[in-house]
Amino acid sequence: MTRVDLKGVTKRFENVVAADNVTLSVEHGELFTLLGPSGCGKTTTLRIVAGFELPDSGSVAFDGEDVTYKKPFERGCAMVFQNYALWPHMTVFENVAYGLKVRGVASNDVKRRVREVLKLVGLEGLENRYPLQLSGGQQQRVALARALVVEPRVLLMDEPLSNLDAKLRLRMREELKRLQKRLGITTIYVTHDQEEAMSISDRVGIMNRGRVLQVGTPVEVYFKPSSLFIATFIGRGSLLRGWVDRRQGERVRLVTGNGLQLEGVAVGGVEGEAVAVLRPEDFSLTPIPGANQVEGTVELVMFLGVHKQLRVNANGDRVIAYVDPEEKIREGAPIKLYIRSEDVKVYPARGWEELEFE
Amino acid sequence: MLRKPSRLSFYFDPFTVAVTVLPVALFALLLIAPLASVIYVASLYNPAYLLSDPTYFDLKPKGEFLTATAITFRGRQVTVVRVSGVSFSAVVNSLLNGLTVTVVASAIGVAVAFAFARYDFRGKHVLRILATVPLLQTPFINSFVIKKLFDWRDGILSWFICDVLGLPIRIGVTGLAGVAVAQIMTFYPIVYLNVYASMVNIDPSLEEQAENLGARGLRLFRTVTLPLSLPGLAAGAALVFIFSLEDVAAPIVFNEHRLISYQVFNRFIEATTGQLSPAAAQLAVILLALSLAVFAAIRKYVTLRQYAMLSRGGRWKPRVGKLGLRGKLAVYLALAPLLLFSAFPQLAVFTYAFAERWTGPLPEGFTLEHLGSMVSDPIVFRAILNSLTYSLLAIFLIAFLGISVPYAIARFRKLELLDLLATSPIAIPGLVVAVGYFYFFSSSFRGTILDPISSGPPALIVLAYAIRRLPFTARAVFAGLQQVHVALEEASLNLGAGRFRTLVNIVIPLIGLSLLSGIMVSFVYCMSETSTSVTLGGLGGMGEGHSAPITYVMMDYLVRVRGPYIVASLGALLITAQLLVITIVNVVFKQRYAYIGV
Repeated sequence: MTRVDLKGVTKRFENVVAADNVTLSVEHGELFTLLGPSGCGKTTTLRIVAGFELPDSGSVAFDGEDVTYKKPFERGCAMVFQNYALWPHMTVFENVAYGLKVRGVASNDVKRRVREVLKLVGLEGLENRYPLQLSGGQQQRVALARALVVEPRVLLMDEPLSNLDAKLRLRMREELKRLQKRLGITTIYVTHDQEEAMSISDRVGIMNRGRVLQVGTPVEVYFKPSSLFIATFIGRGSLLRGWVDRRQGERVRLVTGNGLQLEGVAVGGVEGEAVAVLRPEDFSLTPIPGANQVEGTVELVMFLGVHKQLRVNANGDRVIAYVDPEEKIREGAPIKLYIRSEDVKVYPARGWEELEFE
Repeated sequence: MLRKPSRLSFYFDPFTVAVTVLPVALFALLLIAPLASVIYVASLYNPAYLLSDPTYFDLKPKGEFLTATAITFRGRQVTVVRVSGVSFSAVVNSLLNGLTVTVVASAIGVAVAFAFARYDFRGKHVLRILATVPLLQTPFINSFVIKKLFDWRDGILSWFICDVLGLPIRIGVTGLAGVAVAQIMTFYPIVYLNVYASMVNIDPSLEEQAENLGARGLRLFRTVTLPLSLPGLAAGAALVFIFSLEDVAAPIVFNEHRLISYQVFNRFIEATTGQLSPAAAQLAVILLALSLAVFAAIRKYVTLRQYAMLSRGGRWKPRVGKLGLRGKLAVYLALAPLLLFSAFPQLAVFTYAFAERWTGPLPEGFTLEHLGSMVSDPIVFRAILNSLTYSLLAIFLIAFLGISVPYAIARFRKLELLDLLATSPIAIPGLVVAVGYFYFFSSSFRGTILDPISSGPPALIVLAYAIRRLPFTARAVFAGLQQVHVALEEASLNLGAGRFRTLVNIVIPLIGLSLLSGIMVSFVYCMSETSTSVTLGGLGGMGEGHSAPITYVMMDYLVRVRGPYIVASLGALLITAQLLVITIVNVVFKQRYAYIGV
């Protein structure tokens, strides 16, 4: 078990700052996920931990020992690559045994440990197959076994599930979490899939444009996103742009261009132009005392299984709301929605430019 | 030794140094320094010396391009048409000859490529094979066959026209014209293959679009097909020009002294005394400048790296049509005879190797004696052993540079210089390399094994072969490396294997076939290497226990000793080796590349 500390890690490629003053700590045995859109610097950060890239400045330490300038093969990390990087000229056994042989483990022990780890990932009996004879899910397990067998100080995973189909991904997600907890290996996990990150991580670090914007448990980042970018990146939300015309401590009132008034909670120094983020699951059809009321017309109804999704036009402002799937609501009908003021997060509009709209 | 890890040690570990700094040092020693000494030595002497000598530089034309004389020959009244070309002086002749050969070879090459790339016809497969036959290297003996083909007394052409068809005309091609014809016949496939590769890589919809807008036939070819094939044409034409400039075999066989290449060769004959005339340096500088100028001129179309090897393409399903009547006539009455004619020298080399006599128009008898003499003649056998030794030794250096340089280029960024150095030998005339090696190693390494005057040429030949034939291996390895995802190596590093171990366990097995193909191709082209072989190769003198390679002895036997038969046997040996390698690389290893190794 190892603790990983990154201090002020910065890496530039040509004119792009891939990692911008990244500082974070990963605790013993923790599964820590770097989450962000593509190009946010999460993979670069992971590769710096692995030793594949040298940061321009800053340091990486394992258990307090500076490893910034150590070569990848001196660090005791093991990485699971996005495309698995299984060696096509070696069998499953040879792939998994490689790290042990490099470490000079006796051949009897190699055989035993490879057998054990293959059992752990559910691949017994496939030792003599070549990677190309395996399914995508099996290849993924071989890649995992190859990394686990050397009992790494730190396990690094770069989008390990992105090449699997949707069903298999869900199953492997659970399995990864189970294995990681059982083995207690400090793990840094990289993904752009927020649901995946939420479901498996102990803590999440959200990155954009090379910077770490927020670090916290999945629950914290979901319910208390620290910026407009995170609020829109994690979960879904309707954005309403307007002006803050009243402020009392954290409580603010935002008025949109179309005249909709919302009581909400300010995140950060909000004044003047601001954006309110409303999560679809926070809307209610039954009146709540003291809550905001949004009145409008139902434009679109979609049945999503666990709920019905409504698109409501409130005088020009559009919001998305989830309601009970059994509610009978027609398109074109007038509707009243309620949302608690503590569920309305109001952010400064500065972050607007950073957002990528669908 | 425990070192504190630092930024510097991260970048400059022994492995990285070995694959970057060491190759750069080797290139500096084996390419840059010798070329620099050529320029340095040339600069020591007044260029007026060269320019005022009419052998080298003169603009007055001498001789008749063509003469026709009526004579009685073997009891018949015939008109003898002799084509010998007009001579100016070595420098001007080389330039004019190079341009003529390039233009004619390009025209033929484009026509052949167009026919093969866009039309289907009976016998196309056979013709396509015939069109690549001239690329099989048989130094000297193929030029000899061409000379024989155009001999007005006993040549096959004159025999056919005069004795078979009964026309009272005999044709002889000699001198500069002979050199040009021999070079065109040998080099046009280079243009053909490059243009063909370009043409099959053209997106068919581009031509369809033009057709749709009303462009057909020649107009379509002129406005769309040819412009899109320009990269191939530029690459092919540039190579032909350089190969023509530095070709020393045809001028020697046609005994044509009035060319730069022959003059450089000639200076080397005197160099056995330990002195190489400064004229050699000045001529070499001209060769080098012309070659580099050609590359600078066509850089817009092709990068140097493309030269050593070309992809056969095949991303698209190419547009292939049927021939009309005129097309059929063109293919069967012009193209087919032309291809047969240009493949004739290689076929005739085998005939010579097995013929008892071939002094008249047709070969007579059958014998294995000439093949046997390759072993029984001690000089020839020695030459074969020499060439094998030199080529094998060169292969070690080629393997080192051929793995390390492409690896460094593919894996570490910003190494264009190394890339340029590894591929440039394809564009640097071998004669310039030879002159440079002589000057540089006889002065800077005096008395060592590298000094050609005191130690003879073996070491220098090995080094010259290695540098000149490196591009084939380097290019093949580079292509192989592009198929190996960098994560495969990182996975190994990550699991604790060092860089060297990763190279041996992961990278080399994965590029194995590319590497082996490249090395085999480099090897056979070492065996048939000509320009440094016949210059540096002669420095040790002839006789028992000589140190000359095969090609030198081929030249020596053809010019001085006796008939072409044993030389043809050696030629047949080289062709067989090349065919073997081409077959293994293409059929067994399934490497989809065509190599050009002139």
